[in-house]
Amino acid sequence: MSKPIFVYVTYIAAPPERVWEGLTKPDVSEKFWFGYRVNADGKPGARMTAFNPAGKQVHDDPIIESDPPRKLVYGWKSLYKELPDERPSRVTFTLEALKGQTRLTVTHDDFDEGSKMFDMISKGWPAVLSSLKSFLETGRGLESTWDEEQRRHAGQA
Amino acid sequence: MTKPYFVYVTYIRSTPEKVWAALTDPVAVSKYWFNMTVECPFTPGSPWALKYDDGRVADTGEILEADPPRRLVIRWRNEFKPELKAEGYSRCTITIELAEYYPGMGGKAVKLTVEHGLEGEGGKFIEAVSGGWPKVLSNLKSYLESGDVAFKE
Repeated sequence: MSKPIFVYVTYIAAPPERVWEGLTKPDVSEKFWFGYRVNADGKPGARMTAFNPAGKQVHDDPIIESDPPRKLVYGWKSLYKELPDERPSRVTFTLEALKGQTRLTVTHDDFDEGSKMFDMISKGWPAVLSSLKSFLETGRGLESTWDEEQRRHAGQA
Repeated sequence: MTKPYFVYVTYIRSTPEKVWAALTDPVAVSKYWFNMTVECPFTPGSPWALKYDDGRVADTGEILEADPPRRLVIRWRNEFKPELKAEGYSRCTITIELAEYYPGMGGKAVKLTVEHGLEGEGGKFIEAVSGGWPKVLSNLKSYLESGDVAFKE
């Protein structure tokens, strides 16, 4: 048995600069990332932070490499207490310009064998990246009711 | 050693019926599949072929299962590149379902899953389709959502 690696390639009819904004700026990410505010706008050594729609922080990971708008690498460890406590894994985004379009490759690796987080991200990335593509091409991410529910719960708390 | 196997999931703002139509209508196929044409009645047992716009045959095979608009299984062999043809037949399973993006996330879209594996041994054919499917499926999603395609070769 070998260590699991997740690789996903998608082609997006938008220039790499716009894809980069979607991956790094919370004001953009919340429009397609099911309400999550993901900030990965810093230089290597700075932090990647993410907040769920209820305002709870779910990520505080190191930015390992940042070469806008070509390559972004950050660590990945969820702060959700409900999730299995595994050591951090690593996410690499590679953006290649193709005639004003972008080939986006997402590689998520450095998991231990049998990682439960690997199963979760393997389901999660296709949804997030499908929504990113829809958002950049049509102005609308894929709809989710989850973010509305989270905001509502936060309001009641 | 595990056999090479390709799996790709994309979520599309559409309906299963429209996704099925886009996969089986020759005019639609040519728009997102780089001018390729498909010739097939898409009934179980019928022959299937994918051709370049100049008429050369790229792939041939047979429909093993067709359950519109949910499931399509194609027995598939490359005819154009000798080293791919030498690896023999593959099996491509396409599943279309209205699904939540993620359990508990709410919000549904069409979940399109493409699985492609060889019947025998070999790695070149699966390597080739692993490069091709993301282009084709990215374009299919764009075609259904925006009417245009994302990737022009």
